Amino acid sequence: MRVLIVEDDRKLAQFVMRGLRAERFAIDHAADGREGQGFLNTYPYDLLILDLMLPRLSGAELLRSARRSHPSLPILVLTARDATEDKVRQFEAGADDYLTKPFDFAELLVRIKALLRRMPVERAEVLRIADLELNRLTQQVRRGGQRIELTAKEYGVLEYLLSSPGRVCSRTMILEHVWDQSFEGVTNIVDVYVRYLRRKLDDPFALKLIHTVRGVGYCLRTEAAHEAIARE
Amino acid sequence: MNHRSLAFRLAVWYALLISATFALVGTGMLFGLGQYLRSSLADSLRRRSTQVQQILEQAPAGVSDAAIAEAINSRVAPEFNNRFVRVTRLPASLVYRSGAPADQSFDPLAVPSLAPRPVPFRATVQSGTADHIQRLVLSATPLATASGRYLIELGSSLDSIDALQQRLLRLLGMLLPALVFCAAAAGYWLVSWALSPVDRLSQMAAQMSVQNLEARLPVVPSGDALQRLSIAFNHLLTRLRDSVLSSRRFLADASHELRTPLTVIKGELQEIIEHPEVPSALRDRVGSVLEEVARLEHLVAGLLSLSRLDAGEAQREWVEVDLAALATGTADQMRLLAEDRGVQLQSPVLPPVFVRGDRARLKQVIVNLLDNAIRCTPRGGFVTLQSVAAESCNVLEVRDTGTGIPPEALPHVFDRFFRVDAARSREDGGAGLGLSIVKSICTAHGAEIEVDTVLGKGSCFRVKFPSIAAGPTLQLGGAGS
Repeated sequence: MRVLIVEDDRKLAQFVMRGLRAERFAIDHAADGREGQGFLNTYPYDLLILDLMLPRLSGAELLRSARRSHPSLPILVLTARDATEDKVRQFEAGADDYLTKPFDFAELLVRIKALLRRMPVERAEVLRIADLELNRLTQQVRRGGQRIELTAKEYGVLEYLLSSPGRVCSRTMILEHVWDQSFEGVTNIVDVYVRYLRRKLDDPFALKLIHTVRGVGYCLRTEAAHEAIARE
Repeated sequence: MNHRSLAFRLAVWYALLISATFALVGTGMLFGLGQYLRSSLADSLRRRSTQVQQILEQAPAGVSDAAIAEAINSRVAPEFNNRFVRVTRLPASLVYRSGAPADQSFDPLAVPSLAPRPVPFRATVQSGTADHIQRLVLSATPLATASGRYLIELGSSLDSIDALQQRLLRLLGMLLPALVFCAAAAGYWLVSWALSPVDRLSQMAAQMSVQNLEARLPVVPSGDALQRLSIAFNHLLTRLRDSVLSSRRFLADASHELRTPLTVIKGELQEIIEHPEVPSALRDRVGSVLEEVARLEHLVAGLLSLSRLDAGEAQREWVEVDLAALATGTADQMRLLAEDRGVQLQSPVLPPVFVRGDRARLKQVIVNLLDNAIRCTPRGGFVTLQSVAAESCNVLEVRDTGTGIPPEALPHVFDRFFRVDAARSREDGGAGLGLSIVKSICTAHGAEIEVDTVLGKGSCFRVKFPSIAAGPTLQLGGAGS
């Protein structure tokens, strides 16, 4: 899979490229709109990651021209603006998805994979980790065969964590997926729900599944991947 | 009538000045008229006196007193002309004395006799009884002729002059207050009329706000101070707009520019923290830095949000929102947060209350107000959320039994970066933007926000939305949602 990132901030581009290379993507970087257009017209790409604020040729212009020349190329727009109106405008201009800075790399990866349909967002009927089982059809959660009653929000948080086991989900990511934009800044609500979830899922069992990564968020793992990711 | 208004004060000064002028002119008129009448009376007396002198001078020697009296009566006719004439042959023999005048203004017998020396035609003499004082102008002219030496005395009553002056005084006394009143009223009206463009200007200026920076005052085409005032005002508004816009742009640009480096910092640090070889002590410190990054992120998002609200959001996405349902739903989402802090969150189910607005923004108002109330309320307290449709407005109310707001902090609760208890809320991760975002959203929705608070007892935040005109639209919105 070959990805082009057009981003004028060198460090941001490097950081995204390093992360994507670790995920086995082939990735090229263009530092301005004109260069991006050149790359795009020279090599075949599977995905375009585009910053909207670019020197020489603006991201919005590049977006329009790329949409004309490559109608089926998935385009993910990065922007520092988060106005809903802007979002609508970018979708109208042909963006397939939209991510607001500052984003979590994990979130970027989820979006990229969804766009590439390489790993469609896990829609399996039953999600499992160790002896924990979540049935999306019946919305039932069991651990060790034992039925666990969860509230709707607790279920939402667990489902989100289970959809990418082993990966750290930030509070903002959880908040945006389970709650909505209006709760921006009230991240402590996530902590409260995770604490309740833990009380029901982990406390009665020896093997702890929900792990806190300080400063980042939460993660579902079968074991402490390394001793430092400690329980709170 | 406002007693301190410019129009009133000007009218009072106007009235005072006019009264003073009238009083001065009136006194002058009264005095001048008296003088004029007296001098013309003196002239007439002088002419009569000359006539009498001629009669005496022309009289042949030894003429009888009766002949002289006959001549004076026929040529001067003092009774008919209301004059007093007395001719005395010196030293003291009365030759002639006129009879009672036609208007009975004096009694000729009671007129005192003057000394045998010249008396000018201006002297005033009083005679008569106490109940009928006669004021007369009396003159005396000595004359030496062939037939002897005479003293001619001529006089006239001052009654007619006095009466005329009295009438003038009465007229002025009646006219003056009426004139002054009319002048003052006209002055008041004129000043009010002249100031009415200023009134309009001030009304328009009062409607100016940060929300409509493009509005300008109409220029009064009067070519005077008013026109200059309106033009100066508009220049001021333009400069104000430029400065507000540039500060907004700065806020938007700054928060904007911060986002890319924040992404890099966050990404790099997250990579470090998840790296298996990083020792746990370092991991903890990186985690602590990441917590600060999250706070910065929140702050930047808040600032950007505020700058967008300041710039005036598009109302394109406005719909009719059931505030009551939105409130209940949001409260349900936050109940656990409250319970976790030992606070009971009450949100009674109430009949629908419709307001027009951006659903996500309105929800943010509820979330921020509830978050604030929950933070401020100690364990065992209550937070109550309700929305009520009042007659003129729709009210959203968040009441808590928390610590309350000290009076000195009350005017600042909606200020950016203001925290009532800085130490505590910083620990909570609050940036001090929540309530100012609430205020900005309310302003954008034409809603007013007010807060009642009792220190130690709790606070109540009340948002008053303008009610949407009841009608088919409302029913449609109600059925649709």
